[in-house]
Amino acid sequence: MVGPPERRLLEPWQDPKAQPYLRIERVTKKYGDVYAVDDVSLAIFQGEFFSLLGSSGCGKTTLLRMLAGLEQPSAGRIYIDGADVTDIPPYRRPVNMMFQSYALFPHMSVERNVEFGLRQERLPRAERSERVAEMLDLLKIAELRKRRPHQISGGQRQRVALARALVKHPKLLLLDEPLGALDKKLRENTQFELVNLQERLGITFVTVTHDQEEAMTMSTRIAVMDAGQIVQVDTPTGIYEYPNSRLVAEFIGSINLFDGKVVDRVGDEVLIEGAIGRPMRMRCLQPLALGTPVAVGVRPEKLRPCERYTDDGVNQVRGTVEDIAYLGDVSIYHVRIADGPMVEMTLANIQPRTEQALTWGQEVAMEWSPTSGVVLTD
Amino acid sequence: MKRNPWTLYTVLAFGYAFLYVPVLLLIIYSFNESRLVTVWGGFSTKWYGELLQNRQLLDAAWLSVRIAAVNATFAVLLGTLAANALVRHGRFRGRTGFSLLLTAPLVMPDVIIGLSLLLLFVTLQQVIGWPDGRGFTTITIAHITFSMAYVAVVVNTRLGQMDRSLEEAAMDLGARPLTVYLQITLPLIAPALVSGWLLAFTLSLDDLVIASFVSGPGSTTLPMVVYSSVRMGVSPQINALATLIVLFVTLAVIIAGLAMRGRREG
Repeated sequence: MVGPPERRLLEPWQDPKAQPYLRIERVTKKYGDVYAVDDVSLAIFQGEFFSLLGSSGCGKTTLLRMLAGLEQPSAGRIYIDGADVTDIPPYRRPVNMMFQSYALFPHMSVERNVEFGLRQERLPRAERSERVAEMLDLLKIAELRKRRPHQISGGQRQRVALARALVKHPKLLLLDEPLGALDKKLRENTQFELVNLQERLGITFVTVTHDQEEAMTMSTRIAVMDAGQIVQVDTPTGIYEYPNSRLVAEFIGSINLFDGKVVDRVGDEVLIEGAIGRPMRMRCLQPLALGTPVAVGVRPEKLRPCERYTDDGVNQVRGTVEDIAYLGDVSIYHVRIADGPMVEMTLANIQPRTEQALTWGQEVAMEWSPTSGVVLTD
Repeated sequence: MKRNPWTLYTVLAFGYAFLYVPVLLLIIYSFNESRLVTVWGGFSTKWYGELLQNRQLLDAAWLSVRIAAVNATFAVLLGTLAANALVRHGRFRGRTGFSLLLTAPLVMPDVIIGLSLLLLFVTLQQVIGWPDGRGFTTITIAHITFSMAYVAVVVNTRLGQMDRSLEEAAMDLGARPLTVYLQITLPLIAPALVSGWLLAFTLSLDDLVIASFVSGPGSTTLPMVVYSSVRMGVSPQINALATLIVLFVTLAVIIAGLAMRGRREG
C-alpha cells in the first residue's frame, strides 16, 4: 500500500522560474466564421489537476480535443514537456484521453480494452499483462477482467475507461466530463478517488466540466471559459472569493451584486454609493478613478444578521424575508430590499429549524465586512 | 379494449401461411411421383436423381452460384468504400450527386440497367476489344453495379450509427488509422458486411432480366434456365432444385446467425 498522499502545498504557478509542463500559446479554432476557441493561452504545471470550466458550447471540449490531437488548431501552438506537439497526430502524442461516453470497445473484454494501447506500442506480452493487471488492481476492477463493456455498470465502465487511458503512462491525461454520466452519490465518492489517484501517480490531469462543484473539489486550478475565451484562471479559492468579473462571480455559486459608483478612497478601501441607497465600504487594491461604475459582490454566506442597525450604516441592508429554502445544514433566505433587489443570505442551522426566530414576512437587517466581498468593474 | 389472443394468432398464422405455404408446397411436390407438376402421384425421390443427370441445369446452377459469390464479394468491397466516403468524409464537393448516383440503381428498372450495360459492353468490345464476348465477366460486372448500391445503403446506416469516439479513442491509444479501421471499425460493422454480402448474393442469384441482356452463348444462369423451361412446361426437376436451394439458403442464414451470436457472447 502506498501511504497517504502528500498534501499539495506547492503552487508552481506562483514561481516565476517554474517551467510549465503544458503550454498553450494563442490557440484559435475556427469552424467557418465561428470561433470555437479564440486566442487562448494557458500554462499548466506538472502534477496539476487543472479544470476547464464553462457552460456548454464555450469551447472547453474543443480545446481538450486539440490537446489530444483530435482537432487541429486554426492558429497557435501547443507544447508538452517542452516539445511542440501541434502537428503531431493523436496516435503519436504522449497524451491519453478519457472520453465522455467512455468509448469502450464493445467487441473486446475489459482486459483487452485496457491492453489495446499497450499492443499498439508492441510491448512484449509479459510486460503487457503485468501492466494491465496492475492497473486493474489499482482501480479495483480485476474481477471484471473477462466481462464485456455492456455487462458492467456505468461506474465500472468509467473505471475501465480510466484504466485504459492510465495504463499507457501518459504525460498528460485528458478527461472529458469524467463524472458526467454517474449518479450523484457515486460522483461524490469518485471525485475524491480521482484526486487521490492523480496524486499517487503524479500524472498531470486536464479535465473539462460544466459542474462547478466538481471543479472546485478536485482542481488545483480552474480556468473559467466563455465564448471561446478564458475569463479567469485561478485556484478554486481564488475563483470563488475573488472573481474578476460579474460573469465568473455569477457562474460559480451565487452572489449578491449591488451596483454603485466609486465616490471616495481611503487607504486600501473605497467608498461606493448606489443602488441600496447607502454607502458601502470595500477593500479594493486595484486603482479605480472616482466615479467608476462598479458592482459590489457579496456571497450569501458572507452576510450575517445585523447587530447594530442604523439608517445610514455602512455595508448594511434591510428587508423582508420572502422565501426560505431549508437544506438541512444551511437555510437560504431570500430577502426583499424595499424598492431594491432580492438579496440572498445563507445561514448555518446551528439551532434546530423549529427553534429559529427568523421566519417568513419578518424584517431582517444584514451586514457584511469590507474584506468579505469583491468590487467588480465588469 | 381487451384483445382476443386468438385473433392475433389467426392473423399471425395467415401471415406465415401466405409467406411459406407456397415454399412448402414446392418442397412437397419435389417428392412427387407424377410427371405433372400439379397432380400428386405418390412419393418418390426420382426427380432428385434426374436432376443430378441434368447437366444443363447443374451447369446453370453452378454458374449462378459462382457469379453470385464473386458479385457479393466485390459489391461488399466497393459498397463499403462508397459508404465510408459518404459517412466519413464530411460534406465534400459533389457529395449529394455521389449519393444520388450511388443509390440510383435501387430505383432504376432492371430493363434499363440491362439494356444500357449491354450497349456499353458492345461499344467497349468494338473500341478496345474488351470484354471479349459476353458471359461470366459481363454478368458479374452488371450484377456488381446494382448490388453495390444495396450494400452501400446497408453499410451506410451501420457506419452512421457507430459512435465516432470509439475510433478516436483507438487513435488516442496509439493506433494508426489503418489499425483503427481493421481492429475497431471493421469488427463493429461486420454484421452489416455479412448481411450486405448475403443480400448481394441473393440479388444476383435470382436476377433474370439484367442477366438476360448481358449474357452470351454458353453462359446461361439458373433463373434463365428455369424461366425458359417453365415456358415449355415445368419439369418436377425444377422443384427438386428449388428445394435444394431453399435448404442451402436456410442453412447459410442459420450459420450466419449463430456466428454473429457467438461473436457477441464469446
